[in-house]
Amino acid sequence: MSAFSALGVWIWFILGLVLLGAEVALPGFFMLWLGVAALATGLITLALGLPWQAEFIVFGVLSVAALVVWLRLAKQASEAPADNPFLNRRAAGYVGREFLLEEAIVRGAGRVRIDDSVWRLAGPDLPAGSRVRVTRADGGLLHVEATGG
Amino acid sequence: MPMLSGFDLFVLIFVVLIVLTLFAGVKTVPQGYEWTVVRFNKYTRTLSPGLSVIVPFIDRIGSKVNMMEQVMDVPSQEVITKDNATITVDGVAFYQVFDAARSSYEVANLTSAILNLTTTNIRTVMGSMDLDQLLSHRDEINERLLHVVDAAAANWGLKVNRIEIKDIVPPADLVEAMGRQMKAERVKRALVLEAEGQRQSEILRAEGAKQSQILEAEGRREAAFRDAEARERLAEAEAVATRMVSEAVAQGDLNALNYFIADKYVKALESLASAPNQRVLVLPVEATAILGSLAGVSELFTSAQAARDSRAAAPARSTGPTVGGGGSLVPSS
Repeated sequence: MSAFSALGVWIWFILGLVLLGAEVALPGFFMLWLGVAALATGLITLALGLPWQAEFIVFGVLSVAALVVWLRLAKQASEAPADNPFLNRRAAGYVGREFLLEEAIVRGAGRVRIDDSVWRLAGPDLPAGSRVRVTRADGGLLHVEATGG
Repeated sequence: MPMLSGFDLFVLIFVVLIVLTLFAGVKTVPQGYEWTVVRFNKYTRTLSPGLSVIVPFIDRIGSKVNMMEQVMDVPSQEVITKDNATITVDGVAFYQVFDAARSSYEVANLTSAILNLTTTNIRTVMGSMDLDQLLSHRDEINERLLHVVDAAAANWGLKVNRIEIKDIVPPADLVEAMGRQMKAERVKRALVLEAEGQRQSEILRAEGAKQSQILEAEGRREAAFRDAEARERLAEAEAVATRMVSEAVAQGDLNALNYFIADKYVKALESLASAPNQRVLVLPVEATAILGSLAGVSELFTSAQAARDSRAAAPARSTGPTVGGGGSLVPSS
């Protein structure tokens, strides 16, 4: 504890900066919260002058608190990315689009060519040549409804 | 270093545990992946890309599923076609997982399952076609494969986007035979074309000959017609001339005609006599008649005969040229 006592309150700031640096160097995104908490603990210690046990507890609690606060803030931001909202969710991108049936939907199952691949359809029985709109995507299955015209 | 009290130790361990808890609870999923979460080893939910928190101690990450489209090589295999040709086929499949949970827990070994499904279906589809069909209908093969495999793989939470047959290799002797067949086809086409050309040219030549002959015949026909016409015209002219002469004779004196004829004969004799090559005179019988027709000459003859008759003795009668008869050409009335 000699080094610890010698550095005094600065140990928290040093630890915080080291942790933030480590976060950049190493993947994982959990040292970020520790680093933030360490910096905050340093500030509180400067202000109040706590015993080290208390500082440790404050540090632990603040670590979890930092994460919780971040999650609250992130909730308000939109879930899907603004650019490329259908990344890795190709089927979802077809919702709302209209297609022309090449073969009839028989007993609720059919197929349609989209972007040089074949997708399976589920929907009402329709003859070939009718227009359909995708209402929702269920994995690799597209649910369709007939459109007028 | 002073002895740590129980509380001090607790604090230290508490901080360590907080760190461990954060480490266990904070999960950041990279884009292109989805992680399944299991609670006491039972699947509960799937984590999307980005930052998410799971309950530490009871939740774990089950499997990390790649949600990107993936390429899978279908290794080459031997397939027997409908017409019993053994060919070597390899292909490639593109698939994308759309349901991380199903792809993790519905099927034990996803890649091996897709691979086996694809290979068996390649056999099925190709076994139902002839070699020629296979080589020329790859699109159709791909389409049929895709339909079957995609429908089957849907239960495993993945979408097969395309299956392509890369290479169809018939056995070497078959390839050689195909090459020969192609060559023969080309040769046949060349020969046919040549024959066609010859036929055409011969037809054209014959056509030309026919045309020329027709034209020639037409020319001859035309000429014959003209000739006949000319002859007709000539005959007509002669007839007219004769008629005119006969009319003249009928109207005029017969002696005038005699004179003309005699004159012509004499002229003819003259020209015969003055011919440079021969001095032989062939006189037609009428020539004597001509001579006879001249009255003066006739009288001379008669007087000469009379003198000879009186001079000659009865036994001796020399033969001399006799100029017979004092007949005129045209009997005088």
